Amino acid sequence: MDKTGTAVWDRIEISVRQCVAWRFPTRSIWVERVDHEWHVLTLAQEGWRGNVRREPVARSQKPESSLWRHYLHKEMGPVQPVAVLPDKPIVVRPDRSLTLLPGQDALFFLEIPVWFRLCTTVPRHLTIFEEAITVLTKTWFGDPVTGELCYGLATRLHQGIDSVDPCAHLTVCPLSITNDSTTDLAFEKICLHVENLSVFRSPRRLWTNKLNVVFRGPEQGTQIEIDREAPGFEKGLTMFAAARQPSPGWNIRKTFGILKSFTDF
Amino acid sequence: MFTQQIRTWLASLSPDVLSRGLQIVLTLVVGLFLVRVLAVVTQRYIMRKSTAQRQMIARKAISYTGFVLVVVTVLGELGVKLTALLGAAGIVGIAVGFASQTSVSNIISGLFLISEKPFTVGDVIRIGTTTGIIQSIDLLSIKIRTFDNLFVRIPNEKILSSEVTNITRFPIRRMDFLFQVAHGQDLSHVQDLLAEIARVNPWSLDEPQPVIVLNDFKESGIEILLGLWFSQADFLALKNSIMKDITSRFSAEDVRFASPNRVIRVVEGSL
Repeated sequence: MDKTGTAVWDRIEISVRQCVAWRFPTRSIWVERVDHEWHVLTLAQEGWRGNVRREPVARSQKPESSLWRHYLHKEMGPVQPVAVLPDKPIVVRPDRSLTLLPGQDALFFLEIPVWFRLCTTVPRHLTIFEEAITVLTKTWFGDPVTGELCYGLATRLHQGIDSVDPCAHLTVCPLSITNDSTTDLAFEKICLHVENLSVFRSPRRLWTNKLNVVFRGPEQGTQIEIDREAPGFEKGLTMFAAARQPSPGWNIRKTFGILKSFTDF
Repeated sequence: MFTQQIRTWLASLSPDVLSRGLQIVLTLVVGLFLVRVLAVVTQRYIMRKSTAQRQMIARKAISYTGFVLVVVTVLGELGVKLTALLGAAGIVGIAVGFASQTSVSNIISGLFLISEKPFTVGDVIRIGTTTGIIQSIDLLSIKIRTFDNLFVRIPNEKILSSEVTNITRFPIRRMDFLFQVAHGQDLSHVQDLLAEIARVNPWSLDEPQPVIVLNDFKESGIEILLGLWFSQADFLALKNSIMKDITSRFSAEDVRFASPNRVIRVVEGSL
């Protein structure tokens, strides 16, 4: 029953009085079936260095806590853990400032922490609970009146997939940026509407749709296109979690921090 | 005995008067019922995507208009001549208007408030010493529920002439903490500590950046301003957590808060 890597997201049958734990670097999640209820406990943990894994837990070993939550669901059947993207946009701040010269394009791979969602499968898919595995800071993108509340994420900009270590609680977002303007594009932060992205799964990694961002200059705004298909950087990808809010397609959004200067902020 | 009297009285009435009376009662009951249903349906279903304030205005407009129509219809059934009544109402209205200038002033102020929209139903406002959630904005007054669950009615005229703070108008706010650390502390270290406290607090926004200002030299210490931006919903969580964070981190790092003190120097031989 022990699983590691993306196999921790496999469907699992939990029988009555059985407890299972998912161990992530920043959070552990215990799920126990008791009669007609699912009992759930999630605890944040710092400094844990083991591999992501799923393991059975003896009832005597499960943590004593007043934070156990109970969800009533009479039907028995397997449960499906699902990796979903956060519920708000993410403002990504690269670990180093990067300037894209006019006419240049670049492909980056960003690692975005996923949330853990547990669903029933019988008689239909119902969300039992969902929770962030890694708690991100909150941030504001735009001016204080018309901007939006986002999560902040400081991350490394990988320019090749080989430098991205496979990790079951991080999803890889391929991001293509084209500077189609006559000015330099200082890539200090970018706002990603991850609620428009789906999650795909391979035996090694989790992926999101590929994002194509075209910067046409501060006045024209930024065009963002989300590839409908699974990204082609790895074979055998299957759809794992649909987007929270499917995107209508091409849209123009305030995406780069550079646009702040045009809102008098 | 009383029932018997009513029966006798009803029997003495002609069928024509009886049917007329029944018609008037039916018009009144059914009319008011329909007005009520129309107001509720409009509020709950037709305007369900509108703001609470618009729903309230629509409901009141329908209720008042419907009530007037029903009363006018009933008066017409009773044989009251409406033209004479309206003329009399105009004269009476002017007399009442002069006699109740405050109410008229409140009504006009209410119209200004509705059109200017400094706040809407559901906003949290502060007027003078009163802070609470707006429950309704009416022609004469606004009704507020305070956070200790008191009902406060404030006349519109007073609102129009007072300073009103709308606390929830914008999605994010800054919370300022003003405190003093004792003289002789390493102020750069204190600034770094405060920046770290703000950075790790889950409810403090990292953008706009926290404000840390060495504000003033005070008698007992250095006054520091810590301003943290937060989302409206996180007000209490941030307020409680940051006080604990500052206290525990300062204690761990041996940073002392200022406390009133006096240095008394006794000069040898002066006593």
